[in-house]
Amino acid sequence: MSDSIAVYDPEVDAPAHHHPVYDYDSGPPVERGKFAIWLFLATEVMFFSGLIGAYIVLRSAAGSWPDPAERLAVNLTAINTFVLITSSWLMVKSLFAAAAGNQRGILFWLGLTILGGSLFVGIQVYEYFELYAHGASPRGDIFWSTFYIMTGFHGTHVVVGILWLICAWIKAAKGAFTPQNYLGLELAGLYWHFVDLVWVLLFTIVYLF
Amino acid sequence: MSGDKHFNADKIFIALIVLTALEVAWGLAGTDWNKTMLWGGLLFCAFFKGWLIAVYFMHLKFEGKVIYSLILPTPFLVMVIMGYVGSDVANSDAPYDHPVGSMKSVETGDIKENLHDIWHAHAEEAEAPSAP
Repeated sequence: MSDSIAVYDPEVDAPAHHHPVYDYDSGPPVERGKFAIWLFLATEVMFFSGLIGAYIVLRSAAGSWPDPAERLAVNLTAINTFVLITSSWLMVKSLFAAAAGNQRGILFWLGLTILGGSLFVGIQVYEYFELYAHGASPRGDIFWSTFYIMTGFHGTHVVVGILWLICAWIKAAKGAFTPQNYLGLELAGLYWHFVDLVWVLLFTIVYLF
Repeated sequence: MSGDKHFNADKIFIALIVLTALEVAWGLAGTDWNKTMLWGGLLFCAFFKGWLIAVYFMHLKFEGKVIYSLILPTPFLVMVIMGYVGSDVANSDAPYDHPVGSMKSVETGDIKENLHDIWHAHAEEAEAPSAP
């Protein structure tokens, strides 16, 4: 903090008009965006914990529970899990490209990440249509209610993530991310990895347990 | 941006893919196994994958105390939720005394096994012309 006072040059740094000059920063000692996204992700952890907790209570209260492998297309969803994990890895590649100042690399890897996420949503929508055509509606029984609630909320998060990544791609196309500042891309990536992390747990609990 | 955040993402990716394949094989092969063994293996794979994603892909390994102080209370709060859930589960006496996927008739107490057949029966009843 003392350094910032020492380098303050009134000839250069004097504020326009009568804006006040502060010699301290009242914010957290990390980027505000990063602080905010981690705080948001903490609330998201609690949100999904509530859903999983409700699932555990309902499943335990049921006299029996169907084998998920008999009702759900586990193999198809396993492929979908690979797709989401791959898109998470592609996101990391995009961040590495940003850190290296590789503008084309950012667009390429981020574009593939968006494609991966879109493929995940497409497969999930296909799964929903197939299940519904076979009479598996959310009102069917408690298995289907919990299945649609948990995977549906996660799918909504994936859609939001894709929209966020598209915005980041547009910003990247305008050259907004430099090796010195690519925080916007990093924040989108944090959300995307979180969505991947949640799916890893949901896939295990809903499809394999 | 803070610090050098480079790590071998390819190795983490391969580990995630291998763990997922192992997990699916474990889940499909272990339907007749002891539940503790089946669920233990699945949870180990899931949490290990989650840990890899959080620590490397989400850069937790490279973050400072501020981010840790933000995120560390969360697992504790999750455990509190699961603790309350656990007491509810322990006190449950399985109120649904018929299998999930079947329906119990309120009038007769009969259990109909296949919900799909029940929905079709209801649909046919609804479509049938009512008696004058």
